Amino acid sequence: MGMNLLAESKFTVNGPLEVTTFELFGMTFHLSESVVVEWFVMILLGVLFFVLGRNLKVKPTSRRQIAAEYIVGLFSGMVKDTMGVSYKKYTPYIGALFCFSILSSLMGLLGLRPPTADISVVGSWALITFVLVQRNKGKTGGVKGYFKSFVDPLPFMLPFNIIGEIANPLSQALRHFGNIVSGLVIGGLIYFALGNLAIGLPAILSLYFDLFSSFLQAYIFVTLTMSYVSMAECD
Amino acid sequence: MELLAESKTYLSFVDINPSTIVFTLINTLIIFLLYRFFLHNKVMAILDQRQQMINADFEAADAAKKEAEETKAEYTEKLLKSKEEAEQIVAAATKRAADKEAEIIAEANADAARMKQQAQESIEQEKRRALNEVKDQISEVVVLAASKVCEKEISEKDNAGLIEGFLAGVGKEG
Repeated sequence: MGMNLLAESKFTVNGPLEVTTFELFGMTFHLSESVVVEWFVMILLGVLFFVLGRNLKVKPTSRRQIAAEYIVGLFSGMVKDTMGVSYKKYTPYIGALFCFSILSSLMGLLGLRPPTADISVVGSWALITFVLVQRNKGKTGGVKGYFKSFVDPLPFMLPFNIIGEIANPLSQALRHFGNIVSGLVIGGLIYFALGNLAIGLPAILSLYFDLFSSFLQAYIFVTLTMSYVSMAECD
Repeated sequence: MELLAESKTYLSFVDINPSTIVFTLINTLIIFLLYRFFLHNKVMAILDQRQQMINADFEAADAAKKEAEETKAEYTEKLLKSKEEAEQIVAAATKRAADKEAEIIAEANADAARMKQQAQESIEQEKRRALNEVKDQISEVVVLAASKVCEKEISEKDNAGLIEGFLAGVGKEG
């Protein structure tokens, strides 16, 4: 779990394990444990999507298809409700992001370090949000509208608007990271405190920190992404 | 819990690792594509097809309903028409019967009138003929009586009896 328990009862929390380091295109890459777990999640999701989306019929005959339609319908509904019908092309990204986030957080249940407990991972998603926001601003307002949105409603708001552009995705990433990592830390502390008596209580806490929190944070993250992007519309 | 191993290196807890960002962006893109092509697009295609099928079904149902309504209207019209026709036929027949009746009655009346007239005429004729006969017979009798008077003298009494007998004979014959 990336936590170290020293003999003299010192509790520390580490970042993700560095699996390996390699050179590519003249750059040094530090392959993190988070990325390896992401690959595992990716394979799981690939199989899941493939199995769910296989052999669909106009008249559904399998529970599998009902589930597939429910999942896709859920994300379509979320995007439609939060962003509006004109943003329905964002549905696949929102769906994929939600699945990626929730399954990454749930990896804690398997004893792996959740990739979402890594600021670089959720930071990447926030970076995507930032890019989508800027792109939507440019698309809806053009060059003029894009720059005008920074001095809106008054020119002296310029620094605050710039801070806002960065603060939104940053807070979004930190919220997700903080929630998952707090679960990790509290879980570790409980194990540390109970020592050999760690039976029962960690399981109950894990219900909240792993299951409930994973779902909630994934939901909050995609909801924020949707509202930031759709609110970036220039009029 | 694992104990600290010298060989293991841990990345920083809060620092940003560019490699992780690069890999995460790539992984996110791959998961996006997987979701989009394996699940989203397929489900959407099926939903579209279903929508089209439902629309087609609705259109077919509407068409069938419209056709049924048209047929019903047609039949109602036909029924109305045939009712009218029947009424017309009955009316025509009644009228024809009434006409016939009137005709027959008129004919009968005419026949009766003619027959009556004929009868009257024949009675008249008969009467005239009888009268003529009587007249002839009277004249014969008169001649006969005259000859008889001439032949022998007859008493007044005999004369009276003769005339009476003659008259009685006339009455019987006339």
